[in-house]
Amino acid sequence: MNNPHKPLEIHDLTVSYQRKPVLYGIDLEIEEGSLVGVIGPNGAGKSTLVKTIMNMVKPNGGYVKIFGRAPKAGISRIGYVPQRETVDWDFPVTVMDVVLMGRYGHLGWLRKIGETDRRIACECLEQVHMLPYANRQIGNLSGGQQQRVFLARALAQESSLYLMDEPFAGVDAVTEKTIVSILKGMRDRGKTLVIVHHDLASAREYFDHLLLLNMRKVAYGKTGEVFKPDLLQKTYGGRLSILSDMASKSAGVRVIEKEAYFTEK
Amino acid sequence: MELMDVSLFPAFDFSRVFIEPWKNPASVAWNGQVILMGLFICWTCGVLGSFIVVRRMALMGDAISHGILPGLALAFLFTGSLALAPMWVGACLAGLACSYCIEWLRLHTPIRQDAALGLVFTSFFALGVTLISLGAGDVHLDPDCILYGEIGFVPLSPSLRIGGMNLGNQALWTMGGVCSLIMGAVLVFYRHLLVSSFDSTLARSMGIRVRRIHFGLMLGLALATVACLESVGVILVVAMLVFPSVTASFFFVRLSSLLWASFPLGAAYCIGGFHLAQWLDCSLAGAMATFAGIVFIPCCLLGPQDGIIWKLRRGTNNFRMNETKKASG
Amino acid sequence: MKLGLENFHFAGGFSVISKILLGGVFTLLLPQVLSAEQIRGPESIEFFDRAMRFFEMRDHSVRVVALGSVLIGISCGMMGSYVVTRKLSLFGDTLSHAVLPGIAIGFLWAESKDNLALLLGASFAGFLGVACISLLKKFTKISQDSALGIVLSGFYAVGICMLTRIQKMDFGNQSGLDTYLFGQVSALSTNDLIGVCASLVLITLFITLNYKELLISGFDPEYARSVRLPADILQYLLWALLAFCVITSLQVVGVILASALLIIPAASASLLAKRMSSYLCIAASLGAISGLVGAFLSFLGERLPTGPLIVLTASFLFLLILVFRPHHGILVCWVKSRLQSHRIAMENTLKAIYQVIERHNFSETSIRMEELMQRRNLGSGECMKEVNRLSRSGFATASLDPHSPSGLPPEKRVSLTPKGWEYACRIVRNHRLWELYLTNEARYAPDHVHEDAEKIEHVLGEETVRELERILSNPRRDPHGKLIPSLVDIERGWLG
Repeated sequence: MNNPHKPLEIHDLTVSYQRKPVLYGIDLEIEEGSLVGVIGPNGAGKSTLVKTIMNMVKPNGGYVKIFGRAPKAGISRIGYVPQRETVDWDFPVTVMDVVLMGRYGHLGWLRKIGETDRRIACECLEQVHMLPYANRQIGNLSGGQQQRVFLARALAQESSLYLMDEPFAGVDAVTEKTIVSILKGMRDRGKTLVIVHHDLASAREYFDHLLLLNMRKVAYGKTGEVFKPDLLQKTYGGRLSILSDMASKSAGVRVIEKEAYFTEK
Repeated sequence: MELMDVSLFPAFDFSRVFIEPWKNPASVAWNGQVILMGLFICWTCGVLGSFIVVRRMALMGDAISHGILPGLALAFLFTGSLALAPMWVGACLAGLACSYCIEWLRLHTPIRQDAALGLVFTSFFALGVTLISLGAGDVHLDPDCILYGEIGFVPLSPSLRIGGMNLGNQALWTMGGVCSLIMGAVLVFYRHLLVSSFDSTLARSMGIRVRRIHFGLMLGLALATVACLESVGVILVVAMLVFPSVTASFFFVRLSSLLWASFPLGAAYCIGGFHLAQWLDCSLAGAMATFAGIVFIPCCLLGPQDGIIWKLRRGTNNFRMNETKKASG
Repeated sequence: MKLGLENFHFAGGFSVISKILLGGVFTLLLPQVLSAEQIRGPESIEFFDRAMRFFEMRDHSVRVVALGSVLIGISCGMMGSYVVTRKLSLFGDTLSHAVLPGIAIGFLWAESKDNLALLLGASFAGFLGVACISLLKKFTKISQDSALGIVLSGFYAVGICMLTRIQKMDFGNQSGLDTYLFGQVSALSTNDLIGVCASLVLITLFITLNYKELLISGFDPEYARSVRLPADILQYLLWALLAFCVITSLQVVGVILASALLIIPAASASLLAKRMSSYLCIAASLGAISGLVGAFLSFLGERLPTGPLIVLTASFLFLLILVFRPHHGILVCWVKSRLQSHRIAMENTLKAIYQVIERHNFSETSIRMEELMQRRNLGSGECMKEVNRLSRSGFATASLDPHSPSGLPPEKRVSLTPKGWEYACRIVRNHRLWELYLTNEARYAPDHVHEDAEKIEHVLGEETVRELERILSNPRRDPHGKLIPSLVDIERGWLG
């Protein structure tokens, strides 16, 4: 657990799509044992950031380091919980099968699933209150239950860094509270969690660090320091998307401080 | 209409259909080889097909089985004979080329997966037919054989001789070899296949080479198609790929159960199809696939896992849930 | 909506009635039925003569075949436009296989190869197949591709059983059945031609009358239903027409390849067309060309079947379009990327020259080659190449320093032409605007400065930069205090 490298290190990351920048010049260093929320408006590049870290998207510039290693090798250290829309719910697997998949990374190629693996899987399912559903096919679950199954899989992976893409989307309030308490428990045990979150209001109480993202890193730091009106306005109100800048301008939001021209050396 | 009844469906004579094939040792040996061939084919295709169906690539099997034709034709044109080895190599290369072209079109042009599939395999098939017509000349490459095969000729295949030992039917050995190879590969790579089919991101993070698994599957498909070609033809291979796992999915939930279920189902298709062909005196491969369809219908109605009758009894909300799920992907 | 189709509750109603009408027309007109005439001339005729013979269209059989192929191409092209855009490509393939039992039944009914009976049987099997597919999709969790696979192979298997059974039964003339597998356009009779014409007329009529409705329901079925368009009926009618189109093209190209003509011309058209109307036209033309050329090639060759040749022609046209199409064709992309890398290198050099001149506070109009090399981090050979490229495009001139110290070889100097100056200013302006814009949103780390035009090139487009200018209201200085050349400055010519 005591790793000389930071769990996540990003430098000057630039990702564009069809000649429009989606992420530009992102610098980020996340310490171990943080529960980080990534917030920003739609189209701000939050999902792109997650996909770039998971090596699903190639950046145009800059780099990502996961525990000091390049993404291709580093993603084996990440427990990833995808967005729910991307899953094929008709696939013939049970809840237990999905959670056991999380253990495959620990097993060698030809080693069978052992008692330890099953025990760990059961514990993880118990943690998310899904053990009674262990033999149910994953399509026969509600939205909140499905989310919890994938969380259990991530837990079973026993990773040090977790990356979750909108885990609370479309989930009932009770499940949300359960998941948050599980995440905080993981953080207390020294895990690092980076969560893409869609709701500004709850972000303040859920996370201890926040990354405000809108194509550029607007701010990153402890929630108390970063959750400030001017920074939030820059993230949400002062949209960097070129086209909607006009709309912001006409709404009276001061996008550019002209005085800053002369303060820089 | 009376003419149709009398001729199309011959009289059902129990002893002729069920007893006679097994009456004397000679016919047992003959029919036994035919059934064994059928078993190998059904089991190979059943196992492969489970993964194909679960990856939503059912028609890829159709595509690959058509796409191997130019490979066969080129091998035949180059070697001037129907020798087995070059045809295998040609077919596998053509099959891989076919799936590579489909992938390329899907990724680099705005053409969708289904159109890319249809475009590539029909072009390949047309190329194959043209090549065969150009070079057919002396050796007879029977198009009917390609389309529906003739499994009944299996016992006529020459014997395999290695080092002076007569090991028996060559076609059976070949098909048996392919069957064991594919079963072995599935056993060894089961986890890779499962995870990459379900969640490719998780698979990549575990170091599984997702693209290689995909092309490996396509290669297995090409091999199986070539091996089955003479016996069941290109189109009925699709039946053997799709029916077992779809039928089993109405009874079982897990992928491993589907794979295991394809063994008894395959045996049922073989034996049922054989006797159906005995009765109707028609193509064996066609009868096997028809029997597969006949087995499918009651299963899809009555199977405990989302069988139609069960769902109707439980109420109509399930239909709407199906539709919204389908709509969302 | 206008046809009163609501009266028909079954999708097949329309097509069945039209077929009955056609059958009536057949029997009333009693045209001469041509016996199967192969399009083959005597072996001794030369290639050129054969080609001429084809195009003169003197032979009745040639005319029939050419016409038939062209008409099939057109109707499949148009039908295919809807097939491809609605993702029904594999539907056509499934239908073309699923009609086999129908053909067998039709043969049994008529006890001979009577086209009408076969057509009726095929239609019946086709509609049954479509019904099965929709039932499976609606009531079970089976995915679309598996449902298609089930119907395709299940129906085909039944068809094969029947066909092989028929071969063993005592019927005289069953030779024609095999042609349904690969097609034999040389055996096209006038009856078949009428069937093909009917299919084309029906399709054209359907598309013209329902153009808008088809467009809306294809793009957004939910919306169509919400504005009370009969989206479902249209869909069933489309499937019925698709079945009819497939069945009439069976005779020409056969079971396996019938779906090819539906998909390939339409897929090629999808690479070129932006609107549905041009899509339909291009697909129809490509289909017609494939038909004609395929028939021609088959006429030239001795043993070559027409169907596969038509399909191969269509694929060849597809490849041509893929390589040469404007904007995204493979060839075009390659050429573009070569030009772009040249342009980026040129822009980097121009920007470097500007920056060196700027460093000297615009005191001189030319700079030394060494300074340029240093700025651009290139060797002298490469640098010279860049400068030559600039000179060729008229942006810069290389000269020798008249004032270099004696005893040493004359120094090379580079200066910009007015055109080059304007270009350099624009580039510098774009890049500095971008940096200014970004600086205002967050602290700017020093090593994030992107001098390389390529890095920015990947990220920005021209429109984005123009928008930046408007938003920033033409600022004068960038975050480093450097001047941002204004448009007025550029037009005036700086040094003027």
